[in-house]
Amino acid sequence: MGNKQTIFTPDLSFYCRLFYRYRDLAPQLVPLDYTDKPDVTLPYELIGSMPELKDNPFRQRIAEVFSEDGEGNMTLDDFLDMFSVLSEMAPRDLKAYYAFKIYDFNNDDYICKSDLEKTVNKLTRNELTPEEVSLACDKVIDEADLDNDGKLSLEDFQHMIIRAPDFLSTFHIRI
Amino acid sequence: MYYYHPKFWIFNAFCAEAKLIGNLVSMSTRERIKAIQKMPETMKKKREIRNSLSEYFHQLQLWHKTLKIIGGKFGTGVLSYFVFLKWLLTFNIFSFLINFSFIAIPQFVAAEPNNLSFTGLELITGAGYFQETILYYGFYTNATISKTENGASYNMQLAYIFTVGIYFVICLFSLVFSMTKSFRRNFINPQAYSGNASKLLCTWDFNITNEKAVKLKQKNLSTQIKEALFEVNQEVLNFSLKERVVHIVIHLASWVASLGTAVVACAGVYFLSINNLELFMKERKNDLESQAAMLVLPIVASLLNAFIPFFYSWLGLLEKFQNPRHQIYVTITRNIILKISIVGILCYYWLNIVAASESQCWETLVGQDIYRLVLVDFIFCLLGCFFGEFVRRIIGTTVYVSLGVPEFDIARNVLDLIYAQTLTWIGIFFSPLLPGIQMISFSVVFYVKKVSLMMNCQPPRKVWRAAQMTTFFIFLLFFPSLVGVLSVIAVTVWRLKPSKECGPFRGLSSMYAAISEWIETLKNYPGSEWVVWIYQNLFQSELFFFILSTLLLIITYLYWQIIEGRKTMVKLLRKQIINVSLTFSFLLLKFGFFVDCLISCCAVVICFSYDSVGERHLTEIKMTSLRDFPI
Repeated sequence: MGNKQTIFTPDLSFYCRLFYRYRDLAPQLVPLDYTDKPDVTLPYELIGSMPELKDNPFRQRIAEVFSEDGEGNMTLDDFLDMFSVLSEMAPRDLKAYYAFKIYDFNNDDYICKSDLEKTVNKLTRNELTPEEVSLACDKVIDEADLDNDGKLSLEDFQHMIIRAPDFLSTFHIRI
Repeated sequence: MYYYHPKFWIFNAFCAEAKLIGNLVSMSTRERIKAIQKMPETMKKKREIRNSLSEYFHQLQLWHKTLKIIGGKFGTGVLSYFVFLKWLLTFNIFSFLINFSFIAIPQFVAAEPNNLSFTGLELITGAGYFQETILYYGFYTNATISKTENGASYNMQLAYIFTVGIYFVICLFSLVFSMTKSFRRNFINPQAYSGNASKLLCTWDFNITNEKAVKLKQKNLSTQIKEALFEVNQEVLNFSLKERVVHIVIHLASWVASLGTAVVACAGVYFLSINNLELFMKERKNDLESQAAMLVLPIVASLLNAFIPFFYSWLGLLEKFQNPRHQIYVTITRNIILKISIVGILCYYWLNIVAASESQCWETLVGQDIYRLVLVDFIFCLLGCFFGEFVRRIIGTTVYVSLGVPEFDIARNVLDLIYAQTLTWIGIFFSPLLPGIQMISFSVVFYVKKVSLMMNCQPPRKVWRAAQMTTFFIFLLFFPSLVGVLSVIAVTVWRLKPSKECGPFRGLSSMYAAISEWIETLKNYPGSEWVVWIYQNLFQSELFFFILSTLLLIITYLYWQIIEGRKTMVKLLRKQIINVSLTFSFLLLKFGFFVDCLISCCAVVICFSYDSVGERHLTEIKMTSLRDFPI
């Protein structure tokens, strides 16, 4: 899942650490020896119970975006992908691409108004009334939609990221 | 897709590799290189092992776990304060190491015996026993130290100037580098920033991992969205002329009040310090009273630094800014002006009054003053933490419950750090081991602030633009702080007369004379003519600096014009995107209409033929334009 070409090579010890974290989730399922490329997939419940993810309102979407089957069940490859994109070494474009996919709930390559409404509800824990949510989403689309098609494409999103310099430091999970 | 695939066999060999890496780490570099070269593996694997070794050392990063916990509970804004503190600590560690190795250790060889007695009071006042130790400038010898009769000699004067000089040059370059890196990463086009869309989609802090903190952040975000929507619904109030004038008068009055307070504070510090000097020159008793009198100046300076900012915050509330962000910026600016003026007046006092006084060793006096200032500032920082956060939390949760739990004031704490670091930098020349003291102080402050944060504070409510503010604070560290320190040191080295009886430069007309004398002696050595040539034609000639400055100005102007051109280009391109998309949708609309027209303009001709029996059969159906049927 994800065919974005990366241009960075993080360091080896980072991946070793990640491998041990992955194995700690289910030591009886994950072998130490990966030479014969075993086909091991950890279910979403285990991934979502990690301390770094368990309180994040977007944990389900993150797991779905990075998992191969789209359901949140991750192989080692997916797990390593996820934490390398969320590390501080990943370049801005890569992070923007995956953030866009996370917020695109219906996977149609556009963040439409319903996606935005779901995002706002997750961000505010359903505390806003539906009218307020709708108003907020309208404002966002007005502001960020450059090609005037009523929804945000990846280019619109990337353009918005340029105007948010904190994005690189907030779209980051330390492990 | 992401990195290299050999990870499979790497994990397989990981256990053996961990042992190997453990062995390699304990060797010296040369042995390590030999051991790696001897290993019968491919080049690729060796490269990876070398990478993993460097990363092993990188893993010994200080406080990695602590920073993770702080970021997880309080977010990126508060985390930026601790990262900044850690960064400043590295400056001090580096300075202490090089000062200790190049200046203090050689001095041990030529040390004079210390005849003074040690009472515990020296730890606070810095005088007394400490006066004749390596802590201060006055103790260092001006001789050329050599252990054996004709052995290698170590020129203390040159070592002193060059060590301090090279340290500051390295600091300058590293600050400029960090500043430009930060600025490039975080540069935003100011005209395009409005914030609402980015607030929604780009500010969720994935760093936060604590359940309570997440709930709090969600609550804050919903409050912010509600406020933003409320603002949008309200109409823009048009102030009448009278109200606008009243606002301007209030702003002017608060600025006058804040600048006036700063001026009064400076005058107070100045008169107190002159008084201090007179007291010191008059009697040299070592009793408790005169020792305590030495502490009055630092305590007053720290009190001013601690309490005037509260006055400024109160002024800010009084002014009723329309944009709350402006209030934060204005308050920060006033605090900066206050701190700069206090440091400025102290430098003026040291360079003009103390240096010209008839004391035996004015540099040591200055060093002692700075030592006391740094120490009292550290004590006040701890006290401020205790009262500002711990006691405030107790009051806010038991007596005045409406006050609530305090928030961590990031701006104020960072400005305090910058102030402390500025004092340390000024003090490096007069007291070479001061960075060591500051090192200890910063480490203690880190732990105390962390514990106080966890126990007493809540995560910040308003959005703190960590990236922008960090760039701003690094810039502050560079521009008033380091540049000011460099000017002070430059004046000291070039203009002031060193004391006659103490220090490495005793007897010279200026500290810089040490270098000129050295160049003179170099003229007698045939192999070092290039050094003399560089010194005479590059450092001493004004023409060289004039040409260099003109070149730099021209290059800066060129880059500025390039940036302006690119800004215009960006504007044009943005307009083009909108135009293209509008054109495209317009065309779609028109095309649809056109297709409709086409369809309605066509006639469908159905041809029948009749056979011999008279039955009608369908022959063909064709479309033809209406032109064939002139009606």
